[in-house]
Amino acid sequence: MNRSILATRPDHDRTTRYASTWADQVLKIARDKGDAVFDLPKERANRKEVESMLNKKRPDIVFLSGHGDENRVFGQNNETLIDASENSSLLAGKVVYAIACKSGQALGPMSIQSGAKAFIGYKNDFIFMIASEKRTHPLEDETAQLFLEPSNQVIISLLKGQSAQTAHTNSRRAFMRNMQKLMTSETSSRDASMLRYLYWDAYHQVCYGDAVIAET
Amino acid sequence: MDEETSQEIRDLVIARLKTLPTDKEISVGADGEFTKEELIDHVEKDDEIGRQMVEVEMSFLKALKEGALFEQEQ
Repeated sequence: MNRSILATRPDHDRTTRYASTWADQVLKIARDKGDAVFDLPKERANRKEVESMLNKKRPDIVFLSGHGDENRVFGQNNETLIDASENSSLLAGKVVYAIACKSGQALGPMSIQSGAKAFIGYKNDFIFMIASEKRTHPLEDETAQLFLEPSNQVIISLLKGQSAQTAHTNSRRAFMRNMQKLMTSETSSRDASMLRYLYWDAYHQVCYGDAVIAET
Repeated sequence: MDEETSQEIRDLVIARLKTLPTDKEISVGADGEFTKEELIDHVEKDDEIGRQMVEVEMSFLKALKEGALFEQEQ
């Protein structure tokens, strides 16, 4: 067994469905590598199960997909999973990636104070575009892919044994590559309109702390 | 910022939002998904979502001006 990862993947509205579906892609990569995956999709993305997994399984990486605010990350039906002032100490010793709006503002720094090795998140809302005709098939949505693949790059880098700061840099580079693709003359002005949101996400992604997850 | 300048900025943002494709929606975190017409409506109302769209547009225009989109990550 190499590394271990805990993922929360609520799926109760279109945004969480997209984030959850794309998050599952990196979990498949982890499984293929032989990493231990503790997956909490849909109703299992609840506080009781998350706290139990964090205590018992002690995952190296915690991947929190869902809605959030400055202090919290939410699970299914927006139940609070992690609250900076209540249970962020459960993140001690772990590298955390939260694709959850605004969690980089307070929860990120507080989790480091509580002993997390690193926290990668977003200081503001994570904004992405969806192709209306693909709304029921998130993985076929090449528009959303431009946003969610760079996000996944954080976990892919961590699973490769790269440091949290490198994972953060790689993810921002992936956003930048997609932006540069959209700036070519072959791209229609309609597609180029996505640039503003790609820049927003890349600009607001933050990384606190640094760590390499060693193989065990 | 005086009201006249604020209105000019909102007008600029609305003009830019009009360039968004009609077959796409924009997911703005827990606030949900919006069509371009809905975003324009929020900017016109100058509500929380509208002010955030102004912030998105202005930060992007600032990045364009400063050449930040063409920099390579170190």
